[in-house]
Amino acid sequence: MKRLGKATAAAGLAAALALTGCSGQKLEGGDKGGSGTVTLKVAFWGDMGLDKLKAEYEAAHPNVKIVLNSGEYNAQHEDLQKKLVAGTGAPDISAIDEGFIVQFRSQADKFVNLMDKGGADYQSKYLPWKWQESMSPDGKQIGLGTDVGGLAMCYRSDLFKKAGLPTDRDAVSKLWPTWGDFINVGKQYVSKTGKKFVDSGTNMFNPVLAQQPVGFFDTGDKLQMDGGPKVAFDISMKAIDAGLSANLASFQPNWDQGFKKDQFAVLACPAWMIGHIQDTAPDQAGKWDIAAIPGGGGNWGGSWWTVPSQGKNIDAAVDFVKWMVAPEQQIEVFKTVGNLPSQPDLYKDPAVLDYKKEFMSNAPTGQIFAATAAGLKPQYLGKKAGPTRVAVEDVITQVQQGKLKSADAWAVAVKDAEKAANS
Amino acid sequence: MSLTQLRPSPQHSAPPVQQSRAKLWLYRFDTRATPYVFIAPFFVLFAIFGLFPIVYNAVVSLRTWRLDEPDKDGWAGFANFTKLLTDSDFWNALYNTFGIFLLSTVPQLLLALIVANLLNRKLRGQTWWRIGILLPYLTPVVASTLVFSVFFARDNGMANWFLSLVGFGQEQPLDWRADKWSSWIAIATMVNWKWIGYNALLYLSAMQTIPKDVYEAAAVDGAGPWRQLWRITVPMIQPVVVFTVILSTIGGLQLFNEPMMFDQNPQSASGGSAHQFQTIAQLIYKVGWKDLNLGYAAAMSWALFLIILIVAGINAGLTKRIGGDR
Amino acid sequence: MTTLVNRAPQDTRGNWKTYLGLVVVLLISAFPVYWMFVIATSTDAAVSQIPPSVIPGGQLFKNLHEVFTMQDVYFAASLINSVIVSGVITAATLFFCSLAGFAFAKLRFPARNALMFVVVLTLTVPNQLGVVALYILMGKIGWNGTLLAVIAPGLVSAFGVFYMRQFIAHAVPDELVESARIDGATTMRIYWSIVVPAIRPALAVLGLLTFVMAWNDFQWPLITLNGTDFPTSMVALSDLASGNYVIYRRVLAGAFAATVPLMVLLLIGGRQIVRGIMEGAVKS
Repeated sequence: MKRLGKATAAAGLAAALALTGCSGQKLEGGDKGGSGTVTLKVAFWGDMGLDKLKAEYEAAHPNVKIVLNSGEYNAQHEDLQKKLVAGTGAPDISAIDEGFIVQFRSQADKFVNLMDKGGADYQSKYLPWKWQESMSPDGKQIGLGTDVGGLAMCYRSDLFKKAGLPTDRDAVSKLWPTWGDFINVGKQYVSKTGKKFVDSGTNMFNPVLAQQPVGFFDTGDKLQMDGGPKVAFDISMKAIDAGLSANLASFQPNWDQGFKKDQFAVLACPAWMIGHIQDTAPDQAGKWDIAAIPGGGGNWGGSWWTVPSQGKNIDAAVDFVKWMVAPEQQIEVFKTVGNLPSQPDLYKDPAVLDYKKEFMSNAPTGQIFAATAAGLKPQYLGKKAGPTRVAVEDVITQVQQGKLKSADAWAVAVKDAEKAANS
Repeated sequence: MSLTQLRPSPQHSAPPVQQSRAKLWLYRFDTRATPYVFIAPFFVLFAIFGLFPIVYNAVVSLRTWRLDEPDKDGWAGFANFTKLLTDSDFWNALYNTFGIFLLSTVPQLLLALIVANLLNRKLRGQTWWRIGILLPYLTPVVASTLVFSVFFARDNGMANWFLSLVGFGQEQPLDWRADKWSSWIAIATMVNWKWIGYNALLYLSAMQTIPKDVYEAAAVDGAGPWRQLWRITVPMIQPVVVFTVILSTIGGLQLFNEPMMFDQNPQSASGGSAHQFQTIAQLIYKVGWKDLNLGYAAAMSWALFLIILIVAGINAGLTKRIGGDR
Repeated sequence: MTTLVNRAPQDTRGNWKTYLGLVVVLLISAFPVYWMFVIATSTDAAVSQIPPSVIPGGQLFKNLHEVFTMQDVYFAASLINSVIVSGVITAATLFFCSLAGFAFAKLRFPARNALMFVVVLTLTVPNQLGVVALYILMGKIGWNGTLLAVIAPGLVSAFGVFYMRQFIAHAVPDELVESARIDGATTMRIYWSIVVPAIRPALAVLGLLTFVMAWNDFQWPLITLNGTDFPTSMVALSDLASGNYVIYRRVLAGAFAATVPLMVLLLIGGRQIVRGIMEGAVKS
């Protein structure tokens, strides 16, 4: 047995070394191999329609090889952050989502400043708030926007019918031009059916906040709780007090269940949510429809393509990014996976205008979401917007859990926000 | 002994005196140097791969390093450490960590001893029982935390379903994440589930090398198997028990995966809406990778290190005292 | 009626109480894993079904097929890589840790206790930045993205040294070592002929636990192997959860597939533990 142990260990080590040798080669292989071959590593999550794009680009540019790395949403952003700190290992091109953009634009020195690479030409092509969101305070542009979520209000037409509410999407949109109206409709619904109306108070807070002229921070990065945040917070408290909230956290199993058990009748939904609704509750086809969101516009999610500055193939990477955000490619991605472009000119494209989603009772999703995205006014997101938002969301959750009274909650929210802003 | 045995045989070409000196030298080398050769691999590898991260961490803790404010980078001295003293989040996390630690480690090790004792018999299907208790340990963290996240869900979770079977929580299902006591129990349950089998196996392997004559000699009148377990078996495996106590302490105070996955919003690392179950390791992660304050996170790591040292030392001492010195 | 117990427990037959206890333990241990299997074989709906579904669905092969064919996940390769990584680490760990544990337990040398303390100390250092620092280090050596980066730091563990030391301390009698010394045996000889046979159950246990620990290791392999063609199983499993939402049946099918090799090892290893113990019992 002892001899077996030694032999196995030796064999194992030999095999490992041989294989690691191979894998090592595979990594550097591309660049050192053929003369002038450039390998571009692209990191992202989910499906951004890249398989098609990769094939097309490689066919048109034989000296470029594209390696795709799709991972888990949180993990990919964390990985990017760690590689930026380490100074090596970052991908040539990285997608960054709205949820993380503030964090990375504060580290603009670690990215290629696209303004130096002809980025100024792109400014006019983009939605103003989209362009601003990826810009650092000192005017460096770290990313070119790819998709936006927009924000509309998805609703269950069958449940509305049961509650005696109109079901046609235009009529529903007229029901709630303001958030106050929205809450009233909700109260009606709850009293008629005894069920909850919205999935959570935080999913009311965030859309309302995004519509305010000033968010958590003013352009001097000072915390301004009494402006926009107070408006948004009061509305979410009203909704919770009226018993409208089902207190479900997004994307948890609970929440998925909530779809099937009719635990909520409306859902603030961006374009990419549609796919999730379809996968979670396929049997509800035709029961969902889309109306305008109260307050006029909104956005939830969307990403940018960025080029970390530690890459070895910066120019090739920038070229590929520019190609990906060109109108033809953006329309193609829209057709393949439904991601809405962030360049308003494209909203006039027939592909976007005429698109109808069968699952959502044939709603013209292209039109609807494009309008909501275009209707949003730019709002400055401070450096500490992320932690501050989490702190306030936690307070809202506490109220929903019954740990805090809504009357006392604002003071706690202010305190926690101040702590987060100074962390 | 005959003298002839001491004289080397005439066939030997090497002079006898030199050969025995070489042997003596070898013997001396063997007893003096070989121990160091034996322990060298560990220290060499540690010096290469383990030391640098620790030094790096130490240096960072003495600096201001905030990823979102690069212009503030510089030497900070002990500022990060003094900040800890007034940080209510830190003390809250410490409280949570200790609470969860007690709820998990103590029952875990006691139950592991009992389970090991059960397995320390002549059983039918030995192998299958051993496989069974190790299943929790084999399960990847990703999978087990997902399973438990659903298990402890508020609306349709199995835990609440079980509770409703005994008539508890009829009006409103329990939100396990909402309070300290419920979230601590849930997390401790996850931790215990995973590690009881592991510790039981360690105890079992030690129990089965206890010589049988110990039991025969210690035949106690009227002693049932329960007494036998605590009076004889456990003291005999005391070194392994001390070992598991130290390891559980170290692991328990560094608890990270379970509270992270129990959070409803995995991106936030809040440890609950009011930080009910935020452990120190989780807070360190949040401060470092969410608040982007790497200097402060490094300093907190050192604080945790100190705490672990103290607590592990106390626990080891206590266990040695209880089991009798060895 | 009082029971006079003077037989070693390992020689006593288990009675019904024993089996009852074991069954309870087994149910609690296995139920979550079983439920994982149920989800892995079902459709999406099963995850949040109440009362919980306990009957496996028929979708296992469909779900597994999705797992193994998912682009960029390289699931099959990841399993093989994990076998290599865990295997090498286990073999090296068993050898180096038992050597060191023997030295600390039975050999006398200056600073022995202090050095042992340092070994245990290395276990206590928590390190959120550790992964990044190690990544920087590996970058300088040039091993990032290769399996070597995952294998090298794990070749000998403080846990293993500590465990071996504790076990050898009480399982190998001092007298045996002394008398072998007097007979002129070298330290290495004592190690092979006396210590190793005596610690067979411990070797089996440590081997098993080390293999599982290396297999399930997640944090470090993720940062160094992310995006390469040679991930380990946990990295691939994390990739399965890509997208805006998690498809549980797929992730759990992958988790199930990643756990099967461990269960096989447990089956084989389980026999070794039993055999090792029998021999140990005969000797004493």
